[in-house]
Amino acid sequence: MSAPIPERSHAEIQELLGAYALDAVDKETAALVEQHLAGCVRCSVEVSQHHEVAGLLANSGGASPASLWDGIASQLDSSTPPSWEGLAERLETGGDRVVDPTDAVVVPITARTRRGRWARRAGAVVGAAAAVLALVLGLQVHHLNNQVTALQSHPSLSAAEQAALREPSTMVVPLRATAGAAPSPTRAVTVVLTRSGTGFVEAGGLSALPRDRTYQLWGVIGGQTISLGLLGPSPGVVPFSVAGDVAVNAFAITAEHGGGVVHSSNQPVVSGQVTA
Amino acid sequence: MVEVEHASDANLVVAVGRWHQQALAEIYRRHGGAVHALARRILRSDPPAEEITQEVFLDLWKNPEKFDAQRGTLRSFLLARTHGKSVDFVRSEVSRRKREERTSRETATAGYDIDHEVWDMAVAGQVQEALVALPDELRHPIELAYFGGHTYKEVAVMLEQPEGTVKSRIRSGLVKLRANLTERGVEPAGGER
Repeated sequence: MSAPIPERSHAEIQELLGAYALDAVDKETAALVEQHLAGCVRCSVEVSQHHEVAGLLANSGGASPASLWDGIASQLDSSTPPSWEGLAERLETGGDRVVDPTDAVVVPITARTRRGRWARRAGAVVGAAAAVLALVLGLQVHHLNNQVTALQSHPSLSAAEQAALREPSTMVVPLRATAGAAPSPTRAVTVVLTRSGTGFVEAGGLSALPRDRTYQLWGVIGGQTISLGLLGPSPGVVPFSVAGDVAVNAFAITAEHGGGVVHSSNQPVVSGQVTA
Repeated sequence: MVEVEHASDANLVVAVGRWHQQALAEIYRRHGGAVHALARRILRSDPPAEEITQEVFLDLWKNPEKFDAQRGTLRSFLLARTHGKSVDFVRSEVSRRKREERTSRETATAGYDIDHEVWDMAVAGQVQEALVALPDELRHPIELAYFGGHTYKEVAVMLEQPEGTVKSRIRSGLVKLRANLTERGVEPAGGER
């Protein structure tokens, strides 16, 4: 067993930053520096600056070897995020399901209304009126860049729900808790998606996360899992949009760190399949 | 939709997150040459340099979220990954013996002519000027560590200087180099928040 590594002061770590940025420290020292960087913005900035300078030194500006790209491209098809690998397949084939398909059947709004279920849900389920649609259609939610949180408080949103609910083609997809997922939702989470591609997720049933974390909405589209937006740590009604001609096969919500992620390695908190 | 050739690096990474191979191809077109050149310079051999180049881009494909645009440019991110992988390789047991033998020979015959390697690089004139403007005692440790893949402790032995001195000089050399570059109109990005 190796001897414990002594803690180092801020000043000692600072002296190491140049060598660390050039990978000129051993693994143990690198681990110490990284531990320090996790809590020290000033030192993190300095390392980034050293990396930029080193990058300029390294920059030969030569052409990229075409032959190497062929080797890279040939390995891309099978390279999918491990935790999401097969999610779409499981949802679509029924094997090893994440959700029970009967829990996630798309039902036209009108049918739900006839059964009287909508009345109980109306205060919470989301929709879109023309005014808000105009606003939301301009918002192509590109995962890390979206500002959906700001739209949650849009004053027209509540009134807007009713308009979308009157559209017969609007789909409602209940998202159910995934077995073993944490934190578990307190009540149902629902996605509403209009034919135009404008959608809302009613996520008030999700348990609140710490402020430095966020829920993230995903869509399974053509076998790929794509981020549809950040929902915030304590979401309510959150709009999103997808291209109108895109068929979403399933939705899922994960809990991520505050900035969201491009690929999630976390198990979905809730998920639901879209069944035509 | 913005075509990939006009997209920013950051937007390309977002597109990679959506599994757009064209976006990765464009990133490779922009930065593959620099990545390969750095790996080749450190490893001094084509096969492992090609392997590392492929690894770097496949890693970006699998984990695009590791790139943080607020921390610096995509190129510096890719080059830092390339450097780390290359250094790991040269420090591996398999290559260490051969490398030590080669280093020993080069040191004996050419005084470890890193200068020559640096000058061989087709880097921008300003970067060359900024580098050469550094005093030797600051420049040599950086070159040996960065292009030679040596730890600062190894550099200290090679230059027959105290470890603490080498450590400090690498850091102050990088800071000075950044200032030199800025004076010459090259504004290294990175780190500003």
